[in-house]
Amino acid sequence: MSLDRRRFLAGAAAAACWVQVPRFARAKGAKAKGKDYFLRATERPLNYESVRSTFTTRITPTERFYLRNHFDLPSVDVKSWRLKLHGLVEKPLSLSLADLERMPQVTVEAVLQCAGNGRAFFAPHVPGVQWRYGAMGSAEWTGVRFKELLALAGLKEGAAFVQLQGAEKPVMSSTPQFIRAIPLAKAQHEDTLLALRMNGKPLADTRGKPLRLVPPGWVGDDWVRALVDIEVRADEPKAFYYDPAYRFPTTPGAPGAAIPADQMKPMTKVNVKSIVGSISPGDVLPPGRHELVGVAFSGEAGIEKVELSFDGGKSWTQAQLDGPSTKYGFRLFRHPWQAEPGSWQVACRATDSAGATQPDVPVWNPAGYLNNAVDRVTVEVRS
Amino acid sequence: MIRALFAAALAAFAVAVAAGNSETEALLEGKMPDDPAKPLVQGKCLLCHSADYLTQQRLTAAQWEKTVDKMRKFGTPANDEEAKLMTAYLARYWTQDLPPPRPVRAPAPRK
Repeated sequence: MSLDRRRFLAGAAAAACWVQVPRFARAKGAKAKGKDYFLRATERPLNYESVRSTFTTRITPTERFYLRNHFDLPSVDVKSWRLKLHGLVEKPLSLSLADLERMPQVTVEAVLQCAGNGRAFFAPHVPGVQWRYGAMGSAEWTGVRFKELLALAGLKEGAAFVQLQGAEKPVMSSTPQFIRAIPLAKAQHEDTLLALRMNGKPLADTRGKPLRLVPPGWVGDDWVRALVDIEVRADEPKAFYYDPAYRFPTTPGAPGAAIPADQMKPMTKVNVKSIVGSISPGDVLPPGRHELVGVAFSGEAGIEKVELSFDGGKSWTQAQLDGPSTKYGFRLFRHPWQAEPGSWQVACRATDSAGATQPDVPVWNPAGYLNNAVDRVTVEVRS
Repeated sequence: MIRALFAAALAAFAVAVAAGNSETEALLEGKMPDDPAKPLVQGKCLLCHSADYLTQQRLTAAQWEKTVDKMRKFGTPANDEEAKLMTAYLARYWTQDLPPPRPVRAPAPRK
């Protein structure tokens, strides 16, 4: 064998070796390390999802609550800030923060979840921020009942929708502004707030300072932040982020299938969902007893039960619901698991008080919304 | 001689696979491969958002075309020729088959 040939073969063997030992692809980031409470989805605008271990408490601490933005954060001067309420009203309003703070304050516990939470898991993939599981959280929101403000302005005949716009602005003037609308009935609901506080503190810049809509039980696209303009209308707005964006098919089709525009409707209620927060994919646990902890929630319904499966969904065992029931918030669940050595897939699924439960696979839709498929976490149990 | 040719072919194959692997690795880390269209994408798409917004996508060529069209309607200053180059670049690398991006763990952002 010539030296060149020997070198050649050695090189080939080395290259082959390199190929056989790719970098270990296990996902990092399942658990918070130090204050790394997030998985960064996009650096600009700020889109950060909470790590899985966040979902072990009923209230999500604000510093661990996910961030979702369409545009750069607006700069709001609270001294000069005004909320305008106009349109089909008897008396248009222009209110300062002090005006709102003087009104009776109400607190509602509610889940805020991005419509696209779980988008990364749709097959075929769809465009948009590739959220995994952490674009959700539950907080105590405090503020003024929206219906009180509407009563103050006085509704004119024909009022049917409330259009909302925040202070955030796109970089390009040709990019649509973030404008949403909700039906008047939801705006007038007893629990719908114009919130000034999150978990007891005034809203920070990243949370919609100084005022945001809280329509509890409804999907995050309606929770408009840094509110500056509210228009009472007879009809729905023609605005990109209301139509065609943020719509779900009335009858979902096959994965990948296009849906005609007239069959796409705005989302309203969050669907039933649960997640195990105390373990993360790829964890290695010692054999023995482990308490599994997670959260479950469902739009406006409340949770009836959470079940866990350790055998690929053949059998299910009921977890214990912890704490008082909650209409809109996270319901904690716990389960003592006697873990035997081996590889285990832990699945969880919730059922709400209306009888709705989670599907095995997400219901595919063109924008990847409302993924509430059964949560599955595979872990290794060994000494 | 045949053995030498076989070894050479094997080596070339291994190197190609290794190169492919390292290219995939770079994509999964969110890196954008060098390409004549790269400066276009950097100069136009990144006016409004960071590169991770596009490097996390896993789309078909048709989905990329639709996305670039949408972004042009939103104001991305690209002419037809530039849009074609950008679409081809995006569709070449960030495909439906590319594995998911590596999660990036981070503290709360500083505003």
